[in-house]
Formats: sequence, structure tokens, C-alpha cells
Amino acid sequence: MSEVYIERGVALLGAILVGVTAIVQLKNDWAAHGLDASVTKLLLGLMALGCVLALLAAVNVLGARA
Amino acid sequence: MAAAAVQHLAGHEAVAARYRDVDRAYGETRDLRLLGFMFFLVSDCILFSSFIFAYVYLRVSAPTWPPIVDGHQLPWFDTSFAAMNSVVLFGSGVTMHFALENWKHLNTRKFNGWLIATIVLGIGFLLGQAHEYSVVNISWQGSTMGASFFTLTGMHGFHVFIGVCYLAILGIQANRGVYTSSKYFGLTAGTLYWHFVDVIWVALFSLFYLW
Repeated sequence: MSEVYIERGVALLGAILVGVTAIVQLKNDWAAHGLDASVTKLLLGLMALGCVLALLAAVNVLGARA
Repeated sequence: MAAAAVQHLAGHEAVAARYRDVDRAYGETRDLRLLGFMFFLVSDCILFSSFIFAYVYLRVSAPTWPPIVDGHQLPWFDTSFAAMNSVVLFGSGVTMHFALENWKHLNTRKFNGWLIATIVLGIGFLLGQAHEYSVVNISWQGSTMGASFFTLTGMHGFHVFIGVCYLAILGIQANRGVYTSSKYFGLTAGTLYWHFVDVIWVALFSLFYLW
């Protein structure tokens, strides 16, 4: 198996695991109030977005070069 | 299911009660310090934004991308390795979140475990970045692509390095009793900083590897 497939496989599994965990944590903390909680929720959401991007890159939907 | 939800809410209430259970002076300075820290993060965001806009301007105004240097077009960056390394950094954001949550819920052992995991993942990301620098086929000089890449990712890597040191210091302080169940502003600030560093990487990963 080539190095690229291993990297993409790790990225795919990792992105799913981390993304789902980030979304679950976001859901759990949704009721929390305060400036720090609000900023944490925003940053967790953006991190989940980053996981989606990494997942799409892993399956060659994004970042595919001709 | 309902019992678990009630227990979860009770846990949140207990954390909120402990958070409020501080003397007035500490409560007021905590709010001010939090606001000051937010200003710091905003200023850091402006710093990164300046370089990001410079990169976007250089890229859209270039006749070809990657640019042609000495008659040869420069190669694209390795997306698959970057995706894997990105997941390492994003994973460290989740572990840091767990560390703070466990501190809030008085689980010191789990706090230490998640904090160490965060530091290890942060170091892993830095090693991945070092590997990428060693194999990437461009240099700082000679092209706007290389200059932008090394400046932005280098600046981000420096932030990650500072973050790793910061978290290590927080871990030492926490184990020496500097923070309590109600007074843990340093840990909150450390977590916010680490999440911020993660989110900046989302922007850099998109710009350099996906666009």
C-alpha cells in the first residue's frame, strides 16, 4: 500500500473521530453561558468544519490537483 | 436516557455553582482578564489576517499558480500528509477540551491524562510540520508561494510551540495547586488559546492545500 493511501486513511478515520467528538462536545456545552463558553462553542464549531475539510481532502474531493 | 440527561444538567449546574463561588474581587478581575485575553486573541487574529490577505492578493494577481520560477512551474503542496497532520492538531483541540471539562468536574487524574495527550499531539503536529518543511520542493526565497507558505505556517508553528510550552506550564501549575475547582482562569485561557491555534490552522490548511 502506498504512503499516500495510508496518510489519507489515517486522515479520513481521524477526521470522522475528531469531528464527531467535537460536534458531541458542542452539543453537550450548548447550554453553557458566558463569554468563554460562547467563544469555545464558536471555536469547536470551526474545528468541526476543519474536520469536514480534512475528510473531503482525504477522499480527494477537495485539494485534488490536475 | 432521561436520567443521563438530568445527571448531565446537574453536572453543568454544579460546575456553574463552583464557578460563581468566588470572592467578588476575583470574580471581577476574572471577567476583566477574560476580556483582555479575548482582545489578545483578536489582535492575533488580525496579525494572521494581514498575512492571509497578502497571500490571497499575491495569488489572485499572479498570472499562473503555482508560479513559474526559472521556466518551471512550482509543485502543489502534499494534501494527503497535510490532511493527516491537520487531524492531529484538531484532535489535540478535542483532548484539550476534555482536559478542561475534567478539571471543572474535579477529575484531576483525567485532566492530567488529557493535558499530556494534548501536548503529545501538539508536538506530533510540529514534527509533522518539520517533516513537511524538509521534503517540500520550494524555498523561502525566489517565489511568493514559498515566502507566503513559510511565513504563515512558520508563524502558526511558532504559536503551536508557544502553546505547547504554555500547556506544560499550566500542567505544572495545576499540579502544584495554583488552580482550584472555582479559580482556574489560566486553564480556561490556555484552552481558548489552543482552540484558536487550531482554528487558524483550518484557514491555513484551506488556503495552501485545498484552494
